[in-house]
Amino acid sequence: MSIARFSPFELLLLKSRSQVDTATLLLLAWVLVHRQHVSEGQRRRRLAQVTAQFRHGHELGPVMSIARSQDLQAIQLAAEVVRKECGTERSLSVIHQAITVATDDGELSLANHYILRFLADLLSIAPMTLNTLFKELTGTPLATPEDPSRDAYWQAHDPDYHARKAREAEAAEQYHQQANARAEQQQQQKERRHQQKQQKQQEKQQRQEQARQAREQEQQRQREQTRQQEQERQRQQQQREQAERERRRSRQQDSRHQHRQQEHRQQRASPPPDRTTRALSVLGLTPGATRVEVRHAYRRMAQLHHPDRFYSESEQQVALASARFQRIKNAYDYLMQTY
Amino acid sequence: MRDLYQRLAVSPEANEQEISQAVASCQHSALRQDAEAVFAVAERRETYDTLHDTVSDIGKLRARLGLSHGAHWQGDVANDFSLPPDHAISRHDELVDRVSHAVSLYNRWRRWRGPWLLIAVFATGAGIGIALGLALCLGLLPM
Repeated sequence: MSIARFSPFELLLLKSRSQVDTATLLLLAWVLVHRQHVSEGQRRRRLAQVTAQFRHGHELGPVMSIARSQDLQAIQLAAEVVRKECGTERSLSVIHQAITVATDDGELSLANHYILRFLADLLSIAPMTLNTLFKELTGTPLATPEDPSRDAYWQAHDPDYHARKAREAEAAEQYHQQANARAEQQQQQKERRHQQKQQKQQEKQQRQEQARQAREQEQQRQREQTRQQEQERQRQQQQREQAERERRRSRQQDSRHQHRQQEHRQQRASPPPDRTTRALSVLGLTPGATRVEVRHAYRRMAQLHHPDRFYSESEQQVALASARFQRIKNAYDYLMQTY
Repeated sequence: MRDLYQRLAVSPEANEQEISQAVASCQHSALRQDAEAVFAVAERRETYDTLHDTVSDIGKLRARLGLSHGAHWQGDVANDFSLPPDHAISRHDELVDRVSHAVSLYNRWRRWRGPWLLIAVFATGAGIGIALGLALCLGLLPM
């Protein structure tokens, strides 16, 4: 039969003249270890100062080294001993010592916030009592600990980094805006060129029309000349000419219509390059959004504008919502194809 | 104080790449923002890790001491760092057991007059050794 070796703290506890004092010493050392901006020598001196009345009768060095190594089992043992041995008076004095050790002049560190609360729970001290004790000793009420798992904490504690980041974001934004402006300019130029082309075509058509009218006038003049000569034939010819004119006009209209259709098709075949931007803005995003962001934005917008949401309201509302929904869906489909 | 590792479902020892992957695939936008703020900079993560270790130690201690429902253990911390109650034996009881076991061993040793017994065993051993050696010498010499 063999028994496990005794750990350093167990040996210390067995050798101690007062187990409670040794255990309290370890808990205070644990609090001290979590104080910031204090040197090792200062910690030891402070511990000796606070525990001058203790009757443990051994060195402080081993206790400090155990506390520094964060030996969880030793701390648990100390906590059990303290809980078992301390009455109400003694537990108040222990928490008193812990608070003074934790907040000599500086602030209570985040870790010590939790350690002090743990000790208060261990010694069954109510939150009210702890608060009053803390306020009496330090002059400030015991605040809730700050939360370094949140963005706000770092915004407050690391402002330089955030300022730099904001500047970078601004620069990126400016770059985006410039790129957008350039794209818009290009677009406008293209439109202007297109308009010029259209104007030219219209002028051409006008010229053609004028020529045709001139030709018709000439024909009429000829007709007038011939009318005197042959009245009967002229009537027949007029009828024929009229028919012909009508046919020609209808043909020309046809050709013009075809021309317009071609133009239309050309416009549709080359979609404006900022269609992506517009689709993104429909989803409430800026250019440069990732596919994941697009999907999330689409889900959010679809939930907001789904026609079923407006079912209980008027029919017009439903129609409007379904139009909006359709637009959102088109934008999303387009983005999913191109992205 | 929340346990970001638990909320992102990564281990606290995960390297930067794994963490950035987990952060990017996080669906909760507020949590993602917080996690980015903490894990983007190495010093911040170090600070956070130190506090995370301390608080999870306290969570373990509370579980072992039956203090996981204390008046001072509320909110996010209690949600994220509480462990199921530990049925490990109390360290103080264990210490008392071990001390009493050691004492009983010591008493048995004293009762059997341990030191004298040890000397007697050593003496017999030495005597047998010397006798064997002599016999060997005598047996070898005639040959």
